[in-house]
Amino acid sequence: MSKMIDIIVDGKTYNVEEDSLLIDLLIKEKIKVPYFCYHESLGADGNCRMCMVEIEGQKRPQIACDTFVKEGMEVRSKTPNIAKVRRDILELELINHPVDCPVCDQAGECSLQIFYMQHGLHDTEVTIPEKVKHEKHLDLGSNVILDQERCVLCARCTRFTDKITHTHELGIVGRGDDSKVSTMPGRKLDNPYAMNVVDLCPVGALTSKDFRFSQRVWFLKVSNSICHGCAKGCNLYIDHNKIKYKDDVVYRFRPRRNDAVNGFFICDEGRLSYKELEENRQEIIVLKNQELSEDKAIKEFKSKVDKYKGNTTIIVDANLYTEEIEAILEFAKEIDAQVISPLGIYKDEDFGDDMLKSSMRAANYKTIQRLNIAESTSIQSDLIINFNHPSEIHASEKISFLTHKNKDLELTFPIASYSESSGHLTNEDGITQACERTVFKNTPIPTIQEWIQKVRT
Amino acid sequence: MSQNIKVIPRHGSSFKDKLYLPAIYDGVKVTFKHLFKNLNDSNAVDTLEYPEEQPTDITSRYRGLHRLTHRPDASIACVACFMCATACPADCIFIEATARKDGHDEKMPKTFFIDTLECVFCGYCVEACPCDAIRMDTGIFSLTGNNREDFVLGKEQLLANKGAFGEEICSARN
Repeated sequence: MSKMIDIIVDGKTYNVEEDSLLIDLLIKEKIKVPYFCYHESLGADGNCRMCMVEIEGQKRPQIACDTFVKEGMEVRSKTPNIAKVRRDILELELINHPVDCPVCDQAGECSLQIFYMQHGLHDTEVTIPEKVKHEKHLDLGSNVILDQERCVLCARCTRFTDKITHTHELGIVGRGDDSKVSTMPGRKLDNPYAMNVVDLCPVGALTSKDFRFSQRVWFLKVSNSICHGCAKGCNLYIDHNKIKYKDDVVYRFRPRRNDAVNGFFICDEGRLSYKELEENRQEIIVLKNQELSEDKAIKEFKSKVDKYKGNTTIIVDANLYTEEIEAILEFAKEIDAQVISPLGIYKDEDFGDDMLKSSMRAANYKTIQRLNIAESTSIQSDLIINFNHPSEIHASEKISFLTHKNKDLELTFPIASYSESSGHLTNEDGITQACERTVFKNTPIPTIQEWIQKVRT
Repeated sequence: MSQNIKVIPRHGSSFKDKLYLPAIYDGVKVTFKHLFKNLNDSNAVDTLEYPEEQPTDITSRYRGLHRLTHRPDASIACVACFMCATACPADCIFIEATARKDGHDEKMPKTFFIDTLECVFCGYCVEACPCDAIRMDTGIFSLTGNNREDFVLGKEQLLANKGAFGEEICSARN
């Protein structure tokens, strides 16, 4: 921990760590400063020149992202001179920008648009008969599409592949107005975290092929959630929207910053796992592939549970919320059943790496261990009640509570998936995090707690 | 508070007002004046024998039924930017976007529906469109149908509607 010092920004005194970056203070204190190239995870690069501020004693404006804080520094960010400098740099950025916002997926969350509204609002004084043409839709691989004309050459994407993934696929080639982001000839963007460059890109140069044209971003509602792909528990934003007369649909996952867990990023597999939320869902109560009414199903459930009292095993999925697991444990006590959760099936050594992917692909297995739920796979009971556990277990009688359709369907109840209910998860490092309920379907599927409440009465 | 209160004396308390008849007489006088004037000269009455007689005062600024415009090469001008759907106060424009492969831009509507039963014909969609792709210059003021679905106009129907005042082709830059 280095020394804390006082500096003055726009007449106000702030206490900061010596030799930290000035821009970090400006971002933290929400002092408006435009920037393209700086990113907290990638550090200063100083190429976009947007974050200019005046510093007392310095002749010319300085970039805040490459200025270290010194004792007694006096910074001004709102002078007319700074406003002009920012506007002029923005004007240069926009000379060759195609301004195709109507067809650009970034529109609505684009730094160029935001900075133009905050700092620009100018009529351009640079008129050129024709803008420089580059490639408009280059498929870089890994679901990333590059539009070289929209690029502001901030080099966030190239620094991401250099500093974070160390795969070095992207680089900036050419000089002057011919410079553009590109991959090596014949090589593709290919790493398990590649789609993070879409979030990093401040403009519409890098867009997701998966999300391409599916929604305009200003229609999307955002909820905070946790990825269920593995035990890491990466923090997510879930972007969803309910179009008039239609159902609530999740359109994409985006990483949510949490320095204790995932930092700024998520893996591509987790990002694309939103598709599984809708696909192949169990939506109706089924008995031997025949649809069954709720009353009859509950009667059937009760008669089976009564018949095998003391001879029942409940199997619990290690992806369920802590609240759901606790409700199941309580219910198991009432019907005198044994509760197990075989964890071996979640192990996937090929999936794990030393960044954000864990080879344990169960989001809440720590809670299973904390609540002392047995991991045994041998079952002697005649009745099995399966709460969404993926393994296939054979017994003479079987009742399932499933989010997604499974092959052998005896008595099966549909249950809400993690986006349709809220709860807590404990990740592999023991950090407990909350998930919001995101999706509100037109006909909501009951949660596990609601089913247990129904079969009790 | 009290200095803001202004007391207005209640009207209609005089004998003439309480009799009511003078007021009724005034009203009936106006009615009969118009009745006899119109009986004398029925051609001066400002009504239209619709539908035999069609209106003649529909100008180019009249907000009629919507249409989607074409580019010079007859392809659709719309790029599915959703500006119209965003601006629409009635929330009656339903667009699904898809990638465009004919060399213009990158994006086009896969489906484009306007529910004219929900539409309030405010013209905000025309104002919002950056591509001059949607207009309300068809001069069509009456839309009929046998069921609700007939009033939900799709992309093909909207493209088939013709402008009533020339300017067939969209005037945006491409």
